[in-house]
Amino acid sequence: MGARYLVRRVATALFTIALIVLLNFVLFRAMPGSPERILLGRMPGVTAEVLATTRVRWGLDKPLFPDQFVAYVGSTVRGDLGFSYAARGRPVTEVLAQRLGPTLLLFGLGELVAVLLGLALGAYSGWRRGGIVDYFGNGLSLILYSTPYFLLGMGLLLVFATGLGWFPTFGMVTAGSTYAGPLEYLADLGAHLALPLATVSLGLVGQYAILMRSSVIETLAEDYVTTARAMGLREGRVLRHHALPNALLPTVTLVAINLGYVVAGAITVEVVFNWPGLGTLTVDALSARDYPVLQGVFLLLSIAVVLANLVADLVYGVLDPRVRT
Amino acid sequence: MTAPAVPVGAGQPAAAGPARGAGQFFRKLFARPDGLAGFAILAVFTILAIAPGLFVGSLQTAVTATGPRLGPPSFEFPLGTDELGRSILNLTVHATRISMVIGFLATIVTVLIGAVLGIVSGYVGGRLDAFLMRVADFFLVIPTFVLAIILTAIIRDVLGTGSREVFGIRLSLIVIVVVIGITSWSATARIIRSQTLSLRELAFVDRARVVGASGGRIMRRHILPNLMNLIVANAVLTFAGAILTETTLSFVGLGDPFQPSWGQLLDAARTIGAPGLGAWWYFVPAGTGIVLVVFAFTLLGSALDDVLNPKLQTQR
Repeated sequence: MGARYLVRRVATALFTIALIVLLNFVLFRAMPGSPERILLGRMPGVTAEVLATTRVRWGLDKPLFPDQFVAYVGSTVRGDLGFSYAARGRPVTEVLAQRLGPTLLLFGLGELVAVLLGLALGAYSGWRRGGIVDYFGNGLSLILYSTPYFLLGMGLLLVFATGLGWFPTFGMVTAGSTYAGPLEYLADLGAHLALPLATVSLGLVGQYAILMRSSVIETLAEDYVTTARAMGLREGRVLRHHALPNALLPTVTLVAINLGYVVAGAITVEVVFNWPGLGTLTVDALSARDYPVLQGVFLLLSIAVVLANLVADLVYGVLDPRVRT
Repeated sequence: MTAPAVPVGAGQPAAAGPARGAGQFFRKLFARPDGLAGFAILAVFTILAIAPGLFVGSLQTAVTATGPRLGPPSFEFPLGTDELGRSILNLTVHATRISMVIGFLATIVTVLIGAVLGIVSGYVGGRLDAFLMRVADFFLVIPTFVLAIILTAIIRDVLGTGSREVFGIRLSLIVIVVVIGITSWSATARIIRSQTLSLRELAFVDRARVVGASGGRIMRRHILPNLMNLIVANAVLTFAGAILTETTLSFVGLGDPFQPSWGQLLDAARTIGAPGLGAWWYFVPAGTGIVLVVFAFTLLGSALDDVLNPKLQTQR
């Protein structure tokens, strides 16, 4: 891969992260309506002295730029994101770290299942275009694509947890239970994970299938596929060795671009199932107007998405020599 | 690259004559099953949204509610009741109006910002173009939903929305409209810009410039009319996204209980634990409404895209 390509991608990502940090600052510090009011929340009977002390205490008496901005960037880089109001003054970084694991587990697995299923379904429908799998698969993909994740989750919860009683209705493990061994723990976790995981995978599978289908159809019309067929290769071989590797290329980018949207799904699915991840944290912080935590969530998720996009760009550069300029 | 679908005639903007081509346009659109189905579904929901009172009477409140608490569907309450005894049928039909109106307004704001920035960026070019597209890319990459949550919360705290209304819509919902516009214009801007870039190079734009038309006039009178097809098709797809975003924002608690949308009803259903209580009637109607409307917009949007922009469509 060319050094110029690498440098340009990394520079773009760094620029975007810088913009995110700047936006975070502007959003929370420079909004009309004075930050000390937000700091003090809806506390009644705030006197002028309290306001003044708060301003000095938080450095709000200094000019916005450069003093406040430099202090903000400095502490952000050091990983100091301030303190949560709702979690009784615990550092935001600590609150976020505690919630990161469950979200990564749920959405890492969900993405994996959705990508595998979606690509397989899309490839098959594109290959057998107009067939029965294509007909129903495409319709189902479109409907799943139109369904908000949380609605899907509520439906699954209603049918499989409340109705059939196959799975627990909320949480990550049964509250207050003790386990005889790691296997029992995993079984309990798995039972709690099943429905949220199914929701995430089903929510994502539609768009991957739609993209893969059109990508396969486009690739199958290429000259090199016609050549392969003219050489007398069997259809299955043409698909696996000639069409699929090229058709897979656009999905790399889509998976990364999608992460930004997946975040919205992540938040709502976790809320439906009371999954103790970043999503429920966001909604709790929102209703408590716990701005430092909201700010931390935005920073963490944005940077994660930007980095994922950078990785996808680099992977794409390795896979497809045409873009290495 | 072939020339874009623009009649290069006598230095005049393309006469996209609504009167002349309307009949043919609708025949073409309705000849496609996706166009017809999408249009039919949306027609039904539009009628419900325009006159909800005609079908179910005025919106029930905790005071005017007459039903049992969280009652299942019955003869008197075909879709059951909520935890306050209000008829779910009544709530869902009225929510149609809120969801559709918020979606509609948010689409207008989104497409307006996107089209203006896209045309200016593409026509003016240079540094301004580079800057605007950097900003657009930024919004495309970051998780805009989290930004939308934060923006809505901050703007509401700053404005102190209370019970003020604008055109009969509560200010808290207007905030949602504006926030959706701010966070979702970038895709539209990108598409419009790329089409403006190729329009800019055509002979009729050159001629207008030679006879002394200003940049603003060229953009308004010569570029914009030729983009209308693209803008309409894009607006229909944006509508679907706007309804989904509004629903999701309401679901995380940013809706307005006094003017409930479908998302607000789903949030209320989740809050009282309707799925766990087996109260399917609380959220299935609103959920069906969302899926049908978004599905219909997606169908109609792709049909419009093919009918209006035949040269832009890719192989299917």
